Parts: sequence; C-alpha cells; structure tokens
Amino acid sequence: MAISGWLAPVHGWAQAPVERLLTTNCGLIISGQVLDHETRQPLPGATVVLLRADGSPTGAATTTDAFGNYHLHDLCAGLYRVRFLFVGYVEEVDEVKLNRPMVISPQLHFDAVQLQSAIVRATRPTESAPQVSTALSANDQRSTRGQTLGEALTRISGVTAITTGPSIYKPMIHGLHSNRITLLNNGVRQEGQQWGQEHGPEIDPFVASELSVVKGAATVRYGSDAIGGVVLLKPAPLRDSAGIGGAVHLVGASNNRMGAASATLDGNSRRWPALRGRVQGTVRRAGTTRTPDYYLSNSGFAEADYSAAVGWQQDRWGVEAFGSRFHTKLGILTASHVGNLTDLRRAFEAPRPLVTGGFSYVVGRPYQLITHDLLKLSAHWQPIGRGRIELTVAHQTDLRDEYDRFPPRNDALAARNLPELSYQNRTTTADLTWDHPAWAGGAFTGTIGLSGTRQGNTFSGRYFIPYYTNQVGGVFAIERWVRGRWLLEAGARLDYRALLVKRALGTAADYRVQRDQFRYLTPALSAGAVLDAGPHLTTRLSATLSQRAPAPNERFSQGVHNGQYEEGHDLTLAPGEAPLRPETARTASLTATWHHNPRLNGELTAYVTQISGYIYSTPILPPVLTIRGPFPSYRFLQTDARLAGFDATARYTLPPHWEVLAKAAIVRARDTRAHDFLIFQPADRAELAVRRAFGPAQPAAGHHLAGTYAQVSGQAVARQTRVSANYDSLDYQQPPAGYWLLGAEIGTTVTAFHQPLDLSVAGTNLLNRRYRDYLNRFRYFADEQGRNLTVRLSARF
Amino acid sequence: MNFLRITQNALLLLALPLAFAACKDDDKDNPQPNNQDNELITTVRYTLTPVGGGGAALTAQYRDVDGDGGAAPVITYNGGAARLIFDKSKTYTGEILLLDESKSPIDTISNEVLEEANEHLLVYKTNPANLLTITRTDLDTNTPTPFPLGLQTTVAPRATAGTGTLQVILRHQPGVKDGTETPGDTDVDVTFAAEVQ
Repeated sequence: MAISGWLAPVHGWAQAPVERLLTTNCGLIISGQVLDHETRQPLPGATVVLLRADGSPTGAATTTDAFGNYHLHDLCAGLYRVRFLFVGYVEEVDEVKLNRPMVISPQLHFDAVQLQSAIVRATRPTESAPQVSTALSANDQRSTRGQTLGEALTRISGVTAITTGPSIYKPMIHGLHSNRITLLNNGVRQEGQQWGQEHGPEIDPFVASELSVVKGAATVRYGSDAIGGVVLLKPAPLRDSAGIGGAVHLVGASNNRMGAASATLDGNSRRWPALRGRVQGTVRRAGTTRTPDYYLSNSGFAEADYSAAVGWQQDRWGVEAFGSRFHTKLGILTASHVGNLTDLRRAFEAPRPLVTGGFSYVVGRPYQLITHDLLKLSAHWQPIGRGRIELTVAHQTDLRDEYDRFPPRNDALAARNLPELSYQNRTTTADLTWDHPAWAGGAFTGTIGLSGTRQGNTFSGRYFIPYYTNQVGGVFAIERWVRGRWLLEAGARLDYRALLVKRALGTAADYRVQRDQFRYLTPALSAGAVLDAGPHLTTRLSATLSQRAPAPNERFSQGVHNGQYEEGHDLTLAPGEAPLRPETARTASLTATWHHNPRLNGELTAYVTQISGYIYSTPILPPVLTIRGPFPSYRFLQTDARLAGFDATARYTLPPHWEVLAKAAIVRARDTRAHDFLIFQPADRAELAVRRAFGPAQPAAGHHLAGTYAQVSGQAVARQTRVSANYDSLDYQQPPAGYWLLGAEIGTTVTAFHQPLDLSVAGTNLLNRRYRDYLNRFRYFADEQGRNLTVRLSARF
Repeated sequence: MNFLRITQNALLLLALPLAFAACKDDDKDNPQPNNQDNELITTVRYTLTPVGGGGAALTAQYRDVDGDGGAAPVITYNGGAARLIFDKSKTYTGEILLLDESKSPIDTISNEVLEEANEHLLVYKTNPANLLTITRTDLDTNTPTPFPLGLQTTVAPRATAGTGTLQVILRHQPGVKDGTETPGDTDVDVTFAAEVQ
C-alpha cells in the first residue's frame, strides 16, 4: 500500500522541518489536531501532506505527534489542498485559501474496506513513553554508516562508549555499561559475552533501519539488565508491495584504509502477496589505524555478516523467521598486550608505543575471533477486539576466541593454534506479550508479558569465567492511561533467576567440580507521566525501582585478561565478608522536549540514579603476584553509588538554509559510601555543528542534485577532573587532558538512472590532533586515531 | 474459547526453549581441569651446585600450581631454609628448571625454552646489585653472533656477608631478541631471598 510509506514513524531529530522543504519563506502556519470521528481520540502518526491547488505536491508533509497535533510552518499565502491520511481511515482533503495562520482539525472516518488490512499494516504509533527514547537521526545514521554500532550510538547525547583501541566500542549510557545495558536486536535481547569491557556488541548495524536508545532504566519491559538503558535496533518491516527492492551502501575510509560494503535485497511475492523476504550482507575490512605520529600496530579487522528473513503476513496474523551471523577477526594493539607491572610501567613511560610498525591489512596475534549467530521465530496475532499477541522465540550462539600475543612454546600445541581463552555462550529466549484491547473508551491500554531465558556458558583454554547455566523467568505488566494532555503509566515486573555455577578446582591429577546454585527473585516497578504541556512542549517524568542479581563474572571471574588480573568478589572472601547480593537501583528522570517549533527545538533530560550495593570493579593493592610477577589487579566490590547528570540537545533553524545543532552531556558519579568519586566515568562533553542546505531538498525537475548540504562541527571533551584525591593509587595514569576535534561533511543526492544516489564525504579530527580519551582502555599506551576522511555512497532501488 | 486455546498453545511454545536447550543437557556438562591445551608455567626451580663439590646444592623454588590468583604461590628453599644461603668462599653453577605441573604428565617447559633458545632470554638481578655476580654460560644459535640464553649460569657471591634478593626473569622475545632485556614479554618474574655468609 502506497500510504504505508508515509506512515514510517518520524522521531525527534529525524523530523525534517517542513519549512526547509519550501523554497520560499513567508511565515504562515497551518496547525491542528487529527481526531477519530467516532471516539474523538487523537490519531498519532497520521500523515499531513500539503498540495498545490492543482494537486501537485509542494514537498511539505508532516506526521501528527503522540497527541494528534501537527504543524506546517513558514508557508506562503495562496491556494492549497491539505491531505490527511491515516491507515484504516478515509483520507480527507481540505481546500484552503491561506492568508493568515489557520487551524484545521479534521475528524477522520473509519474506512470499513481498508480496516481489515489496515490493522496489521499500520505501524504502531510513535510510543510516547515516560522514559525518554532518542533515535539516531536520519542525518546521523547516514554519516555513521560503516562504523561499529557502539561508535554510531555516541552521536546520541548522553551516550558514550568504553573503547578498546580504534575498533571496539562498548556503549555506555549515563555512566552505566556492560551488565546494566540491554541491547535489543530485532526484538531479541542480545546475549553474548556482554560482561567484558573490551567485548563490543556482536551486531552489524546495517541490519537496522532505526537505531534508538532508551536513556534510563527500562527494567519493567526489558528485565533487570536494563538499569542503565536499552539500545534498540529495528530493521525496516519486510516489503509489503509486490516486487523487489534493495539498497547498496559503500564506505571507504582513508585513515585505516577501511572498505565496507553492505547490500540488502527485499522481495514480495506477486503470486502470494503474504510472502515476503529479505537477504542482507555486510563486509568490512580495515588495516592499521594511524595516529598523527605512528601506526597502531595490529589494529586491523576483517568482518563479514549476513542475515536473511522470510515472513508470511496476513491481515490479522503473521509469522517471521530471521537468521543472522556476525563474524569478525579483530586485531588487538600489540603494544597493549603487556606483561606484568614492570612491563606496564615501561610501556606507560614510553612516549609512543614500544611496537609500532607500518600499515598492514594482516591481523596477527593478539586477536579476537568472534562469531554470533541468531535464529529467531516470531508470530503475532490480532484477534478482532482482543488486542495483539506476539510471540518470539530465539536462539543465539556466541563464540569468542581470544588469542594471546605468542603461541605456546610447545610445537605440537602451537601447531593446533588454539585460542588461549575461548568462551561459548548459548542462549534461548522466549517472549510472549499481549497488548490488551483498549478499554474505558480507549483511555486504558497496556501490555502483559512473559519472558524466559535459558543460557549455558562453557569455556576451554584458560579459566576466566566459569561454566554456568542461567535460567530466568519473568512476568510483567505495563498499563497506560491517556486523558487529554496527560499520559500516566505504571508497570511491575517479577523475575526469578536460577544460576548454577560450575568450577573445576585442583590440578589435572586431582580435580573436582565445585557447583554453586543461586536463586534470586528480583522485582521492578515503574511509574511515569507524560504531559503535553502545549503544542510545542512535551514533558516526561519517570521513576523506577529495580533489582539486579550479580552476574557470574562479578562473582567468579579470575585470571589475567588483557594484561589485567581480574577477580570476582566471591572467590576470595575475607573472613566475615558477605558474598555479593543483588543491587537495588532507584532512578528518576525528567525530560522536556520542545518540538515542531519553527526555529528552536530541543530536548533536556535530567536524571539521578541511586544504586545501593553497586557492583563495580576496582583496583586492589597490593597487586596479585603471579609467576610472571605482579599484575595490575582488580576485584569486584559492592558499594553505594549515585549517578546524576543531564543531556541537552538543541537545534536552531534559520530558514531557508542554515541550521545550528548543539549537544552537551554531563555525568556526576559518586561513591556515596566512601564519599568519593566513581572511577572511569565520562568527562563533560559538548558538540556544536553548523549545517547549510543548498538547492532543493527533494529531487525536482531541472535540478541534478537534491538535499545538498555542508556541515562543520566541533566536539570538545574536558579532562575528567572529578576523580578520587588518591587517584595515583587507583590508576596507572591520571586522566588525560581534554581535547577538541574539528569535523566536516558534505553530501548530496544525485539522480542517476532514475534512482537517487546519496554521496557524502566526511572528515574527522581534521586538524590531526594528538589526543587520548579517558574511556579508551588503551589510553595508557597510544594516542587516538588521526585525521580520517570517509567517502560514502548509497543507492536504493 | 478459541482465544484461550491459542493462549495455551502460545504458552506451550514459550516452553520450547527449555525443551530444546534441555537436549544439550548442559547441567551435566562439566568444566575440565584447567589448561590442558594452554601453556602455563607453574614452577621455577633454581638449583645451585658448589663448584668442585663440598657441601649440598642450594635450591630455590617458586610454585603456583593453580595458576594466576587462587591459592597463593609457595616459595621454598633447600632444607626448609628461609633463603638461599651462599658461602662467600665458593662459586656455584646454576641451572633453571621450569615446569608446568598443572598437566598430567608434568610438562618440562625449560626444554621448550632450550629448543627455542633464540626467542628467550633469562635475566638475573640481585639487590643489592653486587650481592652475587651471575654469569650466563649458555648461548643460543643466533647468527652471526650468538646471544646468551641463561638456563645455565655461574654464580659468584661477593666477598662480604649480607642479605638481599635474587630476581629471575624469563623474557619471551620471538623475532626481536637482541641480547638485551628490553624487547618482548615477561613469562617468568620471581624473586627469592638470598644471603651471603
């Protein structure tokens, strides 16, 4: 159906302001609210299109917000037609003679003919939830193609990343990461080796058409690992009109001579319109990254990912199967693979890494070899008047092999080329949700869900984390009440977790298996409100209470991993020391969003997260003595923590060509038990970008180019000064100096062979500055990437 | 009611992961003894024999059978002494033995080090620096000039009595050995107590 394209949800920054699409700027406004004729309920996500009097498009269009409101700004006086579309409703066209600001609030009628198909095909209206969710804007998505998922997400204010060299990015939201962030890939919780700080998400971001982040706890909906937030990757719906389409993306980068190519092919059967499918594949290959002064030896990678989906979509039900593989071989900076403290000091004191070398595509030791497979079956059913039921069953296999810098001395062993550490994680998840039909005249809507997880973890090679079997069963309910400008939401969840940990004790000649069984019942509660304070201001308030059970690595990890000795809390309990207990998190956040304003739009989020029994890894003294000497040593401890801060984004539009974008994020993290700062928290940061548009926004007759833009941006990151007074005894180096980076980008859309072709060139760190980032685990050894130019080309057909 | 039946079916489907995960029976899947496929050095033994006989050999041993962390390493000396006790009137020939006692049978790592002499270097340090004079007596096969290896040594105590420490370091230097300590990684770094009488 043609109109389904119009219904693609438009979020936050992605919303192309209507005014920029018009070539002239005369300042008149058409606004109003789109309502259902029967119930007088607002229709969120309805499309409003402005046509000329002869019915030809003006290029101006918008969608209604969560409360059915819409605004078309900066229109010139004249005769127009305004067309209102919403799936399942008869379209309405109003003729307008515009000479002053106008309010048009149409009441759309049910379309009995369309209704049947409309129920299943309508995209769900933009979720208006008390917890703020920010999607990567269309512009940002375009200019992050070819990057890892974690790197792309750092474009969202309040999201940073713990990095390990230039190619491993682990998302961090409001200062929380790893076991406190849930990644939802295509509706399935990503289950891999999430615990490791140098374990990036095993996901190809090209699979997703939309990347968004729930900033803050979403534990009721997604379980106890979502205390810090949720990263959502949503693929585009499968093609619903007969035929074949697709997209090709090519990316080339100068610094590490990276090449990336991704292609998607979508099809819908002409013979069986219910049958649809997609195949998709990505390859990425990069060589050595260069800092301004030297190469980061062995920082290349080779990645190949593919996925396929097939679906059968009927009016009231549908089934879908999805399978994907992510496979990468990631080189680890040779200079970072150091031995004991003496070697480490030697590496730290060197002004440049002790091993550098030249450019190479070869990925040598040390490296990580990662394979993540996902198979997902999902089904949904919408019995008339009974809401919507959705069932998802998924199986994931995550294999992670880590190779040390040198193979074993023993030739027979070396010939087998086994990884020194190898983890195998297999997870099956099942989720059943029921969106109950609206009751009390549509005022109440809600979702009830069950979820189950069974996870088995094994390893071979060196011990680092134990064998374990983790079984989780959860039940949750979220209920919403909407009336007028208010939306209230409350939710509750209960998770039962049974964790069996198995460890081998003793030596080969005399060994036994130690089994430890843990059972936890963890609750989560949430309450929130959304107030549509005016047509241009939405405020959200959210509060949650949740508990998270300690993860196996927090209890039982032990060994040297990436040059650090790490130890779980429960392995070496001092006399009288209690084992880890679940941590309890209380969060509150307040967000104000200014939207659909002609000039200034923006969002401000303020939050506070208080975690009692916060589990964190901290250096221990004296360092643990091994046969290779003392190693920098860390152990998991429990304390109380409070993280507070704010994120702000603002966009100022100067029609018709200019736009200024500003972002800032601040996190303040305290150990409230020790009355000190928490270690490894993001420093304050801000970003400013100026963008100018040229020519028509959409392909138009007589123009070869459309959507042409040029952008200059600056990013500033302060030194992290909020650290413990005795920092020298906690870390090997003080936090590095602050830095600022200059970036620029130009792009356009060329129409070639009747198809639009997106072209862009982006430059990062244009001044080729030497800098180190506090959250890069390699900051002790090496600088960050130098100047990089990236060329991107995308075609759709 | 149809709706109820479907819900029941859905619940059955929900139990599916438990069913096919159970096939793997990972409850019975137990961890194997550590490190069967990994190389680990658990034991460093330094044996010092007086030149020309006369008196028992001295030994110092560092042993950490369970690898990094866990039970603390155990350092022992010959005859239950608290340190290596050198006689200032003698010289000694020293030999290093490296073992992996986590394997069954026990793996002698020093044999591998000898085989790959061109990639290894043992370094000896004393504190105070003049407590003992330690000379590496074996060489690798590097061309044109062989570099010292250090599994074999001679040890000459200083002429005055005193106590201190003796540090034994094994550097792994594949492709980068240049006769100095600097390149490569540390595979062994242990410190013994020593006394000259």
